[in-house]
Amino acid sequence: MSLILDGTNGITNLTSINGGQLGGRRNLVMNGAMNVAQRTTSTAGLGATALERVLDRWGLITNTVTAGRVTMAQVADGPSGFANCLKLTTTTADTSIAAGEVMLIQHAFEGQDLQQIYKGVSGAKELTVSFYVKGNANATYTCELFDRDNGRTIGQAFAVTTAWNRIELTFPGDEDDGSSPFDDDNNVSLHIQIFLHGGSTFSGGTFVNNTWADQANNTRMAESHTSILDATSRTFFITGVQMETGATATAFEHRSYGEELALCQRYFQQWGGDTAYGFFGGVSSCTTTSTAFHPIICEVEMRANPTFAFVGAASVFDLRNDANGSHPLTGLAMDQSTRKVVSITLTRSNADLTVNVPSQLIGNNSTVGRLELRADI
Amino acid sequence: MYKKVISPTSGTFSCIEKTVSGQNPIYIPLDPANTDYAEYLLWEAIDGNTIADAD
Repeated sequence: MSLILDGTNGITNLTSINGGQLGGRRNLVMNGAMNVAQRTTSTAGLGATALERVLDRWGLITNTVTAGRVTMAQVADGPSGFANCLKLTTTTADTSIAAGEVMLIQHAFEGQDLQQIYKGVSGAKELTVSFYVKGNANATYTCELFDRDNGRTIGQAFAVTTAWNRIELTFPGDEDDGSSPFDDDNNVSLHIQIFLHGGSTFSGGTFVNNTWADQANNTRMAESHTSILDATSRTFFITGVQMETGATATAFEHRSYGEELALCQRYFQQWGGDTAYGFFGGVSSCTTTSTAFHPIICEVEMRANPTFAFVGAASVFDLRNDANGSHPLTGLAMDQSTRKVVSITLTRSNADLTVNVPSQLIGNNSTVGRLELRADI
Repeated sequence: MYKKVISPTSGTFSCIEKTVSGQNPIYIPLDPANTDYAEYLLWEAIDGNTIADAD
């Protein structure tokens, strides 16, 4: 392999730099090694809802038409150097594919995180996407970059075998009309999408490999495309996903679990589920005998003001308010939401709280209860 | 499905309660960058869809 030095790509094939970790923060993908799964590690029966999430930053998109169902899970499998991967297992096949059916996995990028690639303007840079995949049998799927700001797409087909293989796909820069940059904000501007199933709405036209074009749905899937829903034996494994500027797929940039978790917490955070009487942080204050306010201090600043949700019945949460001990709740709701702090209201219908006494929100002898903040894209 | 929530602190319309049968409600801030709020705006734009007043 020759060392190449040019004015466009700099130095390539210099393994001591490009093959190692010296050029850090190359990978624009978060949770590419599939190590973070805050919500759960496996969900079955997916395919009936438009968007489902299991592993952080990775969504399963369907259009709710298909009868096919899959399980999405974090599993301890991967090529050398990877402990985990995202696995899809088909549990209900769908071989009668209606035109509008589609199933894909998706990763989203904020526009403000991609200004350095000059998308849509002069000097637009190439992007290289790499990942490791395998399946239960040979298959062909499509990897797409989808410019959400300007309705532009580009795709490449890739092959899956029964062994782990690294796929390396370089996409040309897209100057578009020269004046269509990504929005410099916290909204989604680009998706990496892996099409795994689709009807003629997404495949009826002529797919042009690796060419940016205005969005036309019927050209988004490659020819001879496999459907992951063609049999209940079908599986798809992926890990080590990386997107970087330039035409060279460098070695996967591993980050520590703590770093990756913090990146993911910009989009989703959760508390609870660890111990039966686990403390939910913050000090609650009772303003009436039936109402208390509880602050949730975000672990990191979130992408947007988050949605508040709770898992489990209200009664699995307990407000320790005074010497009388347990006060299981009858309701939780949100008062105010900012990117840094969320205030929730806790309700106790028995109206037996002691006012103006610092209180603790804990689990009511249950690990079911969880508080969630969501600012996904 | 969607209902206004009045903040006990400020006394103003501060977020939206979304309920789906069989699930806990979720509480959505009035932030255009929040995808749940964006989804609500699409729902509201359909003729006949109106958010319920707060309790």
